[in-house]
Amino acid sequence: MSKKITIDPITRIEGHLRIDVEVDEGIVSDAWSVGTMWRGIEVILKGRDPREAWVFTQRICGVCTTVHAIASVRAVENALGMEVPKNAQYIRNLLVASHCLSDHIVHFYHLSALDWVDVVSALSANPSKAARLGERLSPWPGNSRKEMEKVKRKLQEFVKGGQLGIFANGYWGHPAMKLPPEVNLLAVAHYLQALEIQRKGNQAVAILGGKTPNIQNLAVGGVANAINLDNETALNMNKLYMIRDLLEEVVTFVRQVYIPDVCAIGGLYADWLKYGAGVTNYLAVPDLPLDSAGTAFDLPGGTLFDGKPETYRRISSFQDPYFRENVTESIARSYYDGDWRKHPWEEETVPQHGEFDPDKKYSWVKSPRFQGRPMQVGPLAQVLIGYISGHEPTKRWADLALRTASDVAGSTLGPEVLHSTLGRHLARAVRCAVMGELALKHWHLLVANIGAGDTSIFVKPTFPAGEQRGFGVHEAPRGTLSHWVVIRDGKIANYQAVVPSTWNAGPRDGEGRPGPYEASLVGNPVADPARPLEVLRTIHSFDPCLACAIHTLDASGKELSRVKVS
Amino acid sequence: MTLGGPAKAVPGDIAILGLGNVLMGDDAFGPSLIKLLEARYRFPDEVELIDGGTPGHDLPLYMEGWRALIVVDAVKAAGAGGEVRLVRGEEILKRSHSAVVSPHEPGLAEALLKLRFAGGLPGEVLVVGVIPLRIGSGMGLSTPVRNALPAAEAEILRVLGRLGVAVRERIPPLRPETWWEA
Repeated sequence: MSKKITIDPITRIEGHLRIDVEVDEGIVSDAWSVGTMWRGIEVILKGRDPREAWVFTQRICGVCTTVHAIASVRAVENALGMEVPKNAQYIRNLLVASHCLSDHIVHFYHLSALDWVDVVSALSANPSKAARLGERLSPWPGNSRKEMEKVKRKLQEFVKGGQLGIFANGYWGHPAMKLPPEVNLLAVAHYLQALEIQRKGNQAVAILGGKTPNIQNLAVGGVANAINLDNETALNMNKLYMIRDLLEEVVTFVRQVYIPDVCAIGGLYADWLKYGAGVTNYLAVPDLPLDSAGTAFDLPGGTLFDGKPETYRRISSFQDPYFRENVTESIARSYYDGDWRKHPWEEETVPQHGEFDPDKKYSWVKSPRFQGRPMQVGPLAQVLIGYISGHEPTKRWADLALRTASDVAGSTLGPEVLHSTLGRHLARAVRCAVMGELALKHWHLLVANIGAGDTSIFVKPTFPAGEQRGFGVHEAPRGTLSHWVVIRDGKIANYQAVVPSTWNAGPRDGEGRPGPYEASLVGNPVADPARPLEVLRTIHSFDPCLACAIHTLDASGKELSRVKVS
Repeated sequence: MTLGGPAKAVPGDIAILGLGNVLMGDDAFGPSLIKLLEARYRFPDEVELIDGGTPGHDLPLYMEGWRALIVVDAVKAAGAGGEVRLVRGEEILKRSHSAVVSPHEPGLAEALLKLRFAGGLPGEVLVVGVIPLRIGSGMGLSTPVRNALPAAEAEILRVLGRLGVAVRERIPPLRPETWWEA
């Protein structure tokens, strides 16, 4: 007999997503991904000044502020056919990279590592043994015996207080938890250290953006960071060196802690390199532009169908019609009036709430499609497209990660294992390492460009009468983000944000094809339906940010997951 | 530079942190009150006002290390829309599983629990909350929630007074920078 499990909400802190899975004989037989609240940025922006849209869009989601700001200014610039100064590109790129580094580290250590790491088991670890293991894996000074003893003591005191506090909702002692106590202790130490690194990434964003969480330095046409190396209030060498120091510390953590940890988990849970592939069509857009027009990039974009390398097709620029012409959204199974599939410029947003009906409409999330097909977006798409297109840093870091995980697993793991639940975590760490390298590169590009005498940061936009249409893409931490704008006589006539978590968390489409979350769950084991840790593992591997996908920030957060078995 | 920037000007000082999504009706209460306070008063250097938005898992960064932290937020509680509620940090920690606090993301309870484990819990935490009438897509506070602004403001001034902080009124006041209501 099959059992139905509902998990609501699934993210530990962010988001409002509900997942329904049907479990038959310990295996997931069907799944529904449900966005439970609606937010209409489209409605809010209609009639407004396009130059101000980014100020609103960066409030869509509290976590993805910067990414919605960047996509918005790019969309308006695209509509006006504008180029922006090189300094503006580099400063935006540094923002993008700093945010991405911090975001990936936080996601792994604070939102999903606890799906794999048993905190309670760390209490029985031998600190000296943990330190020896850590020192063998990495030169990171935070793996010392002293540090391990300190963290164990801290954990003991915490548990002695009778409360697990922040860890209270974990699935401790679950049969699917497999790490030895010493690895668990190392992971708890890194959980704490990641908090410090998160702060540093955030500081870099704050210096560039003026403020966090909502940055203030963007403008349609460039940035508002006055560059004057001799002026205290402007972007000067002092601030630039502070940014470089912060980035270097974050990058060191990625190389010496994040990459080895993910590889160890990949090797020790090698089973999870077989589950969770789901939709194997992949999409990523190019990013980190190197020129004013957005035609040359440090990160590649493209599409891949059915996981087949020979289907790879490049997305070459911020203007590429291959992307522009092929994106649509379906509302066949979403709570909007109608049953259409439309291009974002042509969409109208008419919410029509209904009850959850797995055979009809059941989600506030729309279903984006590329050439009519569901696509998986995110670090895995980024890494596969980088790998197949011969992007040198991606290939180098991916090969290193696979080699390291193979050593731990005691068997050879090739790039094909990346199409999986743990493959998404490996890919995210690889992307983070690539981003770290490129962040430092773009810091040098900015400093060299300023050193050559270029201090321009802004081109004033002009809005002609009549209609212009534009789209702005950004390859955000969670994947491809695109903002679509229609401007009429200098005012916004239509605006749509097609966000990464919509691509991944969207429901079935008019043809009944499931979205990536849904497809990735079917066929996976669930050892204990009352504690469906395995479902969480796969969903968390996507890094859900439903605050984005359904444009809502409403969630009580009072339970980390509600599990109903019926 | 706000917190999240390089370093606090004065270690051990006081922060007033407004939380909430300004695109979600009454959820804008926290940020609105921050803008109102900035427009009406001059604060000494040891007090920092932060429009925190909904920083999700970055929230602990804005909370850690203060001598006293006043959080302004929409809270879920029994009562009518627009009623002001004071909740102490200790209560939030105690009730972490049936959390009081906010009807939106940032997860105040989780952030406090995280700081309790990692270190950096503020010396004192007080939530000045308002019960929202309407949280949903759209901008602008509902009338009862807007009418609660002066009571919340008075509460904050009272707490600052107890902490030994004197604020000076701006005469005339500035216009509050609540751009989301334009």
